[in-house]
Amino acid sequence: MRYLKLLTIFWQTSLAARMEYRTAFLLAFLEAALEAAGKLFGVYLFYSNGFDLGGWRWQEALLVLGLASLLDAFFISVFNPNLRRISEMVQNGTLDFVLLKPVDSQFWMSTQQFAAVGLPFLLVSLGLIVYAGVASGLNATSWLLLVLGAVAALTLAYAVAFLFATTSIWFVKIFNVVFFLNSIVWTGQYPVQAYSRFFKYFLTFVLPVYFMTTAPAEVALGRLSFAWLFAVIGVSLGILALSSAFWRFALRYYASASS
Amino acid sequence: MRWLPQKAWALIAVYFAYMLEYRGEIFFWMLSGITPFFFMSAWTMAAGQGLTDYSASDFARYFFAVFIARQLGIVWVHWNMSEDVRSGKLSFRLLQPLDPAWLYLADHIGERGVRLPLLVLVGLVFALLYPQALVWPGLESLALGLLATALAFGVNFSASYVVGLLSLWLEDATEIYNLWYVAILFFSGMLAPLSLYPPAVEQILLWTPFPHLVFLPAALWSGLDVNATRGLLSLLIWNLFFFTLGRLLWRLGRRHYSAMGA
Repeated sequence: MRYLKLLTIFWQTSLAARMEYRTAFLLAFLEAALEAAGKLFGVYLFYSNGFDLGGWRWQEALLVLGLASLLDAFFISVFNPNLRRISEMVQNGTLDFVLLKPVDSQFWMSTQQFAAVGLPFLLVSLGLIVYAGVASGLNATSWLLLVLGAVAALTLAYAVAFLFATTSIWFVKIFNVVFFLNSIVWTGQYPVQAYSRFFKYFLTFVLPVYFMTTAPAEVALGRLSFAWLFAVIGVSLGILALSSAFWRFALRYYASASS
Repeated sequence: MRWLPQKAWALIAVYFAYMLEYRGEIFFWMLSGITPFFFMSAWTMAAGQGLTDYSASDFARYFFAVFIARQLGIVWVHWNMSEDVRSGKLSFRLLQPLDPAWLYLADHIGERGVRLPLLVLVGLVFALLYPQALVWPGLESLALGLLATALAFGVNFSASYVVGLLSLWLEDATEIYNLWYVAILFFSGMLAPLSLYPPAVEQILLWTPFPHLVFLPAALWSGLDVNATRGLLSLLIWNLFFFTLGRLLWRLGRRHYSAMGA
């Protein structure tokens, strides 16, 4: 409860601060629309050339695209602005102040910022998911599975991003590693079945993008049995626990610059 | 005037040394540009089903060329400019007897010096994985492709510089550049060779700068059909357009500069 209250305070202040840059917010709407159009065009390009992304109907593929856009929106509004600060704070030594606070440091580092420019992207992605879900004829149970799957996918994406960002404790200027992750998650726009074997394995076992977009969609569409949802949840909880353990381990090596 | 090359060389050398410090960052930045290889993978599957006129190695060659063309065209001068305006660092730059645009340009050229060896590394890995994709494009195509990337870099740089100058009015204009970036992502031929786009879309896009920035050099290098004369001409015109616009905004914008933090 206390953490929920903190979250509200953090995000209210972030929003207020960003209001200084109103043009940027308005432009974000334009950008979100353009990007959605481009992403749809990307999927359309495969279908117009007769490639069904490894056996997906158009509206089903859009469900995968919608989930990927949802992840993108969270990267823009929450993950990137927060995780970028880990590297900044290690450089400046200001991480000390966070560690001294009576709040879980991982929670603080992951939630303190909220970038309003991500909101248009969030709206567009939700619109896409609803459209694709309705067009694929999801029933109430499938919607429930989809929501659970999406929450698990977001948790997983966050955990992997946090795991990557934590390495800045050692390497300091490493934030681009999160951009690398962004671009890999970008490949989750298409179902993994669209890729050749090497890339499919890479996206399943090395960087678990499969569990972020394709798997939740497959469960909701009934292409995979309902039990697979537990696999998705299991993977995301496992990596979440790993990220938290890794953070505590990394903090032991934090030498605090300039203090 | 005699000293001009030496001055330029000194500036570039300074920025090269500076960028060398960030080699790790540049490496991951480069890795975040590997998305063309995923498109390669998907189109290879499509080729395996006999759906396109291109073979798997055509696609491998094309998307590798796309990767290189995009890497050589990366710019961030909008970010430099916006940062300098907001922090007031521009004040010091204005005191120097040199247009700041040259400093930014040297910054970019110096960075290419760090990025190139890393690109060679990726090229070697690619050559090991896809030896069948390696075909000598011919000296003329290679040179024309390089010319195209140089011109494409010019367009990107000037466009990004124009966006950066808008910071003088808007404080933070970096968001505007994202529009340009997103357009390149989807409409430059990174998703697929341009001939796989719907013909109507292809015709419209050819009037924009985007396909010439990536598709033109990539097609030249990988031996796909492309109207090089039209592409190069178009790049020249867009260079001229953004360069003029940049100079104009720089004249107008300097008066708007409020030297924050000074």
